[in-house]
Amino acid sequence: MIHSMARHNTSKPPSDSWEAQLRKGSLEMAILASLWKSNHYGLEILHALDGRSSLALAEGTLYLILNRLKNDGFVESKWVDAGTGHPRKYYWLTEEGRERLRAMVRFWIQFSADLNVLLEPVIARKERVNAAR
Amino acid sequence: MPPDDVTNAVDEYCNRLWKALHKLPGSERDEIVREVRGHILERLDAEPKVTEQVLTEILRAVGDPKELASEYKGYAVLRQATHSRSPWVLLRAMLRWAATSVVGVMAFLATVIGYGCGTVFFLSAFLKPMFPSRIGLWLAPQHTLCFGYWNGQLSGTVLYGISVRPPAFVLGTLGPTDGPVRELLGAWLSPVGVLCGVLCFLGTSLVARSLIKRFSQNEKWAASFSYAKSSASPSLQSLR
Repeated sequence: MIHSMARHNTSKPPSDSWEAQLRKGSLEMAILASLWKSNHYGLEILHALDGRSSLALAEGTLYLILNRLKNDGFVESKWVDAGTGHPRKYYWLTEEGRERLRAMVRFWIQFSADLNVLLEPVIARKERVNAAR
Repeated sequence: MPPDDVTNAVDEYCNRLWKALHKLPGSERDEIVREVRGHILERLDAEPKVTEQVLTEILRAVGDPKELASEYKGYAVLRQATHSRSPWVLLRAMLRWAATSVVGVMAFLATVIGYGCGTVFFLSAFLKPMFPSRIGLWLAPQHTLCFGYWNGQLSGTVLYGISVRPPAFVLGTLGPTDGPVRELLGAWLSPVGVLCGVLCFLGTSLVARSLIKRFSQNEKWAASFSYAKSSASPSLQSLR
């Protein structure tokens, strides 16, 4: 029975909670990054994130995160009449936001490089198993 | 779906959101609802044909108005708390925190004890002139030191207030003791009580605020658990 439980556990996918935490931790960086090149309104930011399914988020709460980023001084916003019958609220990065994003990216690169070194044996083993099939 | 029905459904959703945001300032509520309404209308514009199912899916993807409002209100409480010294505001933020983690529960209890001590100091300072023989800083048997009320009996002595009987610290009362009880401060109790009360309230507010600031990064993520799209929510692509 213990054996079957162990087998069951090893076949389980990674915890949803762990994945959610990882996504949440990266979301602020992803939203700031989506504004790096140009100003966008909410739906455009969602499209940029939704194209990468692991970064998809509940739509209503995007505006809460943008609101928070604005209060923290990382983004600014302005209502613009886009000629669609209803105005759009455009967001852009402030200088502080750009600096914050640069710092996040620097940390992210170092963090993922360190993690990749640790994961290398796991990835290499998986590749060997795939090659043997 | 007739355009009027679509407009009515969007209006109803926005009204529910506006009502659910009732604790936020009016201008902030209007801004949030305006932005969410704009988002829904953008999504509808992108649809070649708006059916009831499409509309329902869009509204579901935006989120339940009550849950969405709760996230906004949670963030508002947190934001207010990081800039406030008001015990009421800080306790509300702590209570929200306590509902999400063990650390939050401990921080909330510490804050309640801090403000509780401050209240005892102020009450004692206020009541001392009225009950000079009952309110004081009492030295009782077993090295008990208590700032507060003494029941006036040498047998079955009970003290209420801030009590220290090494190694115990109690906000409330310790078990009854027998023996001599001595008052240490006399008329000085009122000014000392006011001073200690002010220090307790300011110190507790300062510590509570710095704890909220320090842990708010994590709490933001905790509050934003629903940021991660659940698998039940339709993706934008599925609606394109």
